[in-house]
Amino acid sequence: MRPWIELRGVTKRYDGDAARAPVLLDIDLNVAENEFVTLVGRSGCGKTTLLNIVAGLVEASSGEVKVDGARVTGPGRGKGVVFQQHALFPWLTARRNIEFGASSRGLDAAAARNEADQLLALVRLSEFGEKYPNQLSGGMQQRVAIARALALDPQLLLMDEPFGALDEITRIEMQEELLRVWSSRRKTVLFVTHSITEALMLSDRIVVMRANPGGIAAEYRIDRPRPRNRSDAALAALHEQLWTQLR
Amino acid sequence: MSTTGSRDAMLGALGAVLLLGAWESVARSGIVSPAVFPAPSAAVLGTLARMPLDDIAGHVAISLGRIVCGFMLGAMLGITIAIAAGWYRILGNLVRPVIEMLRPIPPLAWIPMAIVWFGLGEPSKIFVIFLGAFFPILTNAYRGIAGIDPVLIRAAQTMDVRGLRLLTKIVLPAAMPDIATGLRVGWGLSFGVLVAAELIAAESGMGFMIMNARQFGEVGVIIFGILLIGACNLVTDWGLAMLIRRWLGKWHSI
Amino acid sequence: MSALRDRPALQGAMFIVALFALWELASALGWLRVFQFPPPSRIAEALWELAVSGFPEGVRIWTHAAVTIARILQGFLLAMITAIPIGLVIGRAPLLDAATLPIITFARSVATLSLLPLAIVWFGIGELSKVMLIAYGCFWVMLTNTIAAVKYVDPVLIRAARTMDVDGARLFTQVILPAAAPRLLAGARVALGVGFMVIVGAEMIGTIRGLGALIMEARNFYRTDISIVGMVALGLLGIGLTAGLAWLERVLLPWNTGLASVRR
Repeated sequence: MRPWIELRGVTKRYDGDAARAPVLLDIDLNVAENEFVTLVGRSGCGKTTLLNIVAGLVEASSGEVKVDGARVTGPGRGKGVVFQQHALFPWLTARRNIEFGASSRGLDAAAARNEADQLLALVRLSEFGEKYPNQLSGGMQQRVAIARALALDPQLLLMDEPFGALDEITRIEMQEELLRVWSSRRKTVLFVTHSITEALMLSDRIVVMRANPGGIAAEYRIDRPRPRNRSDAALAALHEQLWTQLR
Repeated sequence: MSTTGSRDAMLGALGAVLLLGAWESVARSGIVSPAVFPAPSAAVLGTLARMPLDDIAGHVAISLGRIVCGFMLGAMLGITIAIAAGWYRILGNLVRPVIEMLRPIPPLAWIPMAIVWFGLGEPSKIFVIFLGAFFPILTNAYRGIAGIDPVLIRAAQTMDVRGLRLLTKIVLPAAMPDIATGLRVGWGLSFGVLVAAELIAAESGMGFMIMNARQFGEVGVIIFGILLIGACNLVTDWGLAMLIRRWLGKWHSI
Repeated sequence: MSALRDRPALQGAMFIVALFALWELASALGWLRVFQFPPPSRIAEALWELAVSGFPEGVRIWTHAAVTIARILQGFLLAMITAIPIGLVIGRAPLLDAATLPIITFARSVATLSLLPLAIVWFGIGELSKVMLIAYGCFWVMLTNTIAAVKYVDPVLIRAARTMDVDGARLFTQVILPAAAPRLLAGARVALGVGFMVIVGAEMIGTIRGLGALIMEARNFYRTDISIVGMVALGLLGIGLTAGLAWLERVLLPWNTGLASVRR
């Protein structure tokens, strides 16, 4: 089966600074359809840049980037992104934000409204549809952001430390929420985080990245069924391994 | 600049009452000659006795007409140029220095040249008022457009929004709070410019009314005019704040 | 050409030079009437004339500028020494603040220049009426800003000081005042701007010295070239005043990175 995301020899250099080690050097990575892959690493290892390259928001200096067999030439076209700051449009209600995503893919007004209702229900914010982003808590904002990305019926979901700005408890709730939503609307997911625990809770596969130059240090496959137990011994062992790797 | 328009207007009215009350009592006590420092009651009644209400209303109407014209011109041109300069980088690079060179010149300083270019009639005053509104509106609108949070643009791009749609559906709405600020500041400045322009070079309007009264030594009319202008200023500013609140209030704390 | 594309400053400068050249050309070709649009060359000549012989005869541009600056500064300083102490007191006394707010709101709504005729009646047609007018305009702006500066000092800073046994007068001079300083200076900047606007208008009535008066008088004698020199001089003066205050702020508050550091 052809991989859903294909990266071959992807390199990204700093603009105008050829002397520095590249942000990313010769990255080869495959992601299968509906696989949940997480990029983990310290700040500066290029994981966000890699995500942005797959999203088409940033152009690679060299190498090949393909999604569903087609080369990535720019953002949009089915590559949904959830950013760390919710990036919801403050002048639109939660519902309207989601409708915006739905109509971007060509749905007419009625269909978009319908889709928005369904997605609001999916992220369990049905009563908050008429609220504006500044009236919602951080966790709620991110749920709307996820719903909006899903409204695109995207080929893949790219998530750049989406829960990084939330407090610990909300973070854990959001991880569970994400898994629930994902099991209902399965997509290929490329997830970026610096939290090992988060990666262990969510992913099929963890890709550990290193910096200077940015590259892949190791990959770990996780076969434990979800939802996973935080105190699972196997996971704890893996946690130790990853922790040592990242230090 | 206070945030709640209606509270402002009421407070202003209360302040007016207190101040006028104090003034009234001081004037009545006769400490200062009534010719130089008349009581507000005397000022108002005296003016109304001397000038028919129609005349006064006429002056107010002319003044407001000028400021509305000048302001709308300033707003339309200011916002348009801000959008063009903010959206097309090269245009922005060319236009911004020219604006920066013209902006430090106070609008009132343009009056003599305005008269040279447009004559002594309405257009010259409207031009100067236009200048008063134009620069703050342009500056604020530009800041709103050029300073939009880049993550919003990126989010829109991931949803296949680009080009003109990006401008109209994302950039303009995001810039609205700044545009609103510019409008409010521009109106306040326009008002000040209007009054000055009418003092200096007009045959009608509230400013002229005051200046004319001075020539005849009618201090009462001068004071009446000053209070009238102040009241108009408060009311119009409150009205504008209300409009803005209705436009933006739900999603942006004004 | 690509070198041009990456240098916005160069683009802007070249555009302005091109505009001036076009202006000069249009005037030479007769497309623009010299009286209405004196070309840059004429304006330069007028500048020379103003610098050397003056307009009206004997009053050189330096004198005009000095007179204008003097008026602004006198009014501005008068406003500062009255508004700041009063504002500091009101800012710390919520009751006073509430009581004076309506009066201040009303006073601010009065268009400063509308008081000019009254000022002339009360203070005559000389310097005093202009200075008082500027002082009035600057005063209310400065007062409002001073009150806000004191009111909105981050309470965390005050609480921290109290835990270090700093209270009363020491709290005021060592914590509140420095914390309020950035906003006070911002208010001064706005007040100066107001004063600047007011003086231009005030000088256009009943005086022949000062930049505003220069612009007005020149037009009366059909010397539009001199009027424009006056306008440019005012613009430069405005820039100079702003720069002066910015420099003062850097000197007095080298630690300041903006209002965010002390404001809630």
